[in-house]
Amino acid sequence: MALKRTLAVAAVLALSALGMTACGGDDDSSSGGDVTMELWQNSTTGPGKAFWEKTVADFQNAHPNVKIKLSSIQNEDLDGKLQTALNSGSAPDIFLQRGGGKMAAMVEAGQLKDITDGITAESKQAVGEAALKTGQVDGKAYAVPVSILPGGLWYSQDLFKKAGVTTPPATLDDLNAAVAKLKAAGTPIALGAKDAWPAAHWFYFFALRACSQATLDATAKSKTFDDPCWTKAGEQLKAFSDTKPFNEGFLTTSAQQGAGSSAGLVANHKASMELMGAWDPGVIASLTKDTKPLPDLGFFPFPSVPGGQGDPAAVMGGTDGYSCAKDAPKECTDFLNYILTKDVQVGFYKGFNSLPVNKEAQAAVTEPYLKAVLDAYNKAPYVSQWLDTLYGQNVGNALNVGVVNLLAGKGDVAGIIQAVNDAAKKG
Amino acid sequence: MVADQVRAEGGVQTPPPARPRRRGIGWAQRLEILVLSGPAILVFCTFVILPVLLAGYYGFYKWKGFGPPTNFVGLENYRTILQDQAFREALEHNGLIVVLSLVLQGPIAIGLAMLLNRKMRGRSVIRVLIFVPYVIAEVIVGTAWALLLQTNGAVNDVLKSIGLDWLAQDWLANPKLAIWTLLLILTWKYIGFAVILFLAGMQNIPEELAEAAAVDGASFWQTQLRITLPLLGPTIRIWGFLSIIGALQLFDLVYIIWGQYVASTAGTSTMVTYLVNEGRNAGNYGYGSAVAVVLFIISMVIALVYQRFVLRRDTDGALTGGR
Repeated sequence: MALKRTLAVAAVLALSALGMTACGGDDDSSSGGDVTMELWQNSTTGPGKAFWEKTVADFQNAHPNVKIKLSSIQNEDLDGKLQTALNSGSAPDIFLQRGGGKMAAMVEAGQLKDITDGITAESKQAVGEAALKTGQVDGKAYAVPVSILPGGLWYSQDLFKKAGVTTPPATLDDLNAAVAKLKAAGTPIALGAKDAWPAAHWFYFFALRACSQATLDATAKSKTFDDPCWTKAGEQLKAFSDTKPFNEGFLTTSAQQGAGSSAGLVANHKASMELMGAWDPGVIASLTKDTKPLPDLGFFPFPSVPGGQGDPAAVMGGTDGYSCAKDAPKECTDFLNYILTKDVQVGFYKGFNSLPVNKEAQAAVTEPYLKAVLDAYNKAPYVSQWLDTLYGQNVGNALNVGVVNLLAGKGDVAGIIQAVNDAAKKG
Repeated sequence: MVADQVRAEGGVQTPPPARPRRRGIGWAQRLEILVLSGPAILVFCTFVILPVLLAGYYGFYKWKGFGPPTNFVGLENYRTILQDQAFREALEHNGLIVVLSLVLQGPIAIGLAMLLNRKMRGRSVIRVLIFVPYVIAEVIVGTAWALLLQTNGAVNDVLKSIGLDWLAQDWLANPKLAIWTLLLILTWKYIGFAVILFLAGMQNIPEELAEAAAVDGASFWQTQLRITLPLLGPTIRIWGFLSIIGALQLFDLVYIIWGQYVASTAGTSTMVTYLVNEGRNAGNYGYGSAVAVVLFIISMVIALVYQRFVLRRDTDGALTGGR
């Protein structure tokens, strides 16, 4: 039995070693002397990565006692690595935060630093209450936004002209009329339903017009979709999809990968428009033949839909932000305040071709389509988070798959609501 | 063995065994065993046994994957799985794939193997052609077929260009068609493996038997039916086992062709795509673990039943210790 005993001893040793690492690292929340922090972000090449290198260097120059170790982690790898690091107690001090239900789960597990008192008055002034709210859970701040990413329709001005659509559609009737002309010209709406969420965006925007802001918020709490406006949004989407406005084979079209993806169809003038967030210009640019921005790209907000309780000017969109880990030193919040300052934000806009959250920095935006997004964003009476983010990964995933089924003709509107209720049982 | 030796070594309470104690195998040999097999055992335990045990543990919780699981729900996850329509559909798809893989691939592969076992011109070229799909990685096969079978892909283009417009279909997204598309790709991909296995089995059948049959006036088909097929039995049964287990755990091809979300819509979801969707995509790691346990149990039961009833005579002596 000696072997078993040896194994048992080894197991105990291994476990206690794990336990000790888990308990270590609690002791660096106070500082004053030299501080080292680790930063995880998702830009691995080009101007985005250069932006972070410069920002970190500048911050270190201004704070000689702080050293920041910068890690560039590929976007799709980031979530999984971060989750493992958080659970094993070796989390980076500062990291990219996408917010929503996942952030709420991190807060619930006590893995994020409460930075409510760390956000300076200057930052609050520069960013504004609405955007800061996206980093809060139950009134406490756990992240600061760095970029706003509202959604709407990205379209090719040339293809619209060619099909005889002179002004961007402002109402659902306009949109239907435009789609008829655009389809006749062989350029439908691009939709990458293989990734599910791009299809679900159509449902979300119909819901944004059909449901009041109060209903959207109440549903985020209750996770039950029994308000009649949800069914109405589903029926409106069903009626819209019955006109077959999307590219052929949209169910097996992915959203952002390759020339055959929905963004690729727009980039190559095979489709006239796409409903997407404000990261789309960058994605489309990477898929054009010369990988340059699409010269005739335009933007218009989701059209108004008659008879809804939502404000016709309301906007849906998320923010990308940054969080501090629970045990991060207090210099972490200094850094978060720093990346919200005007000059850094202008650098962020230039590095990522993405709208900065700092209002003064927004003046630096030159592209007409990004200006159109800003215009819609600033006119909006309220901004809703993407619903799959707002309602959490579990319900969001079920919603997305339910909408795909609806568009494929496999399910009905009641099926979406049923799917959400089923999902709630699993999480 | 090891345990016996260990007991014999330090056995204060055990009486001396009947066989002579081999003094030579002391600490040195034990160290050798530890050094040589220790790392392998450690890796196996860390990456195979521990995850299985952890899945069993997490399956009793509702858990989002952040921090340690705290919300104990007992068997509720399992109850939900059994009631979930999407899981039942996935299970049906798996069942269909298991049965049709056996029914489609088996006879075709046996037929091909019988043909290729004869001396004929270009035999090795045909063998290579049939075996190539099995060698190509799943990711490449999936990507290639996904591109070929898109509505505006090469397959439909070819059909239209030769005037067969009515045959052009939405091969991947039409729920009535997609599962058959999948079965076709699976057959194309895995038939080579079956053929090679059967050819190897046929090499073990003594040629004298066929010669004797020929002398007795048996036709080619009679020889195949009465001699080759029965003697190929053990090979067919082993192939069946591998095919069933493979079909139960089918994941990569579906995941690549249909993506993370559309498989259930197109009617090609499997238990493993269900697991990934409900576990990772939905962030329900507790529920996903329970699905993994269910998948493990189903595979285990089928494997044991198959070994007990189908493979019994083939493995007698090899697995049962000669009892």
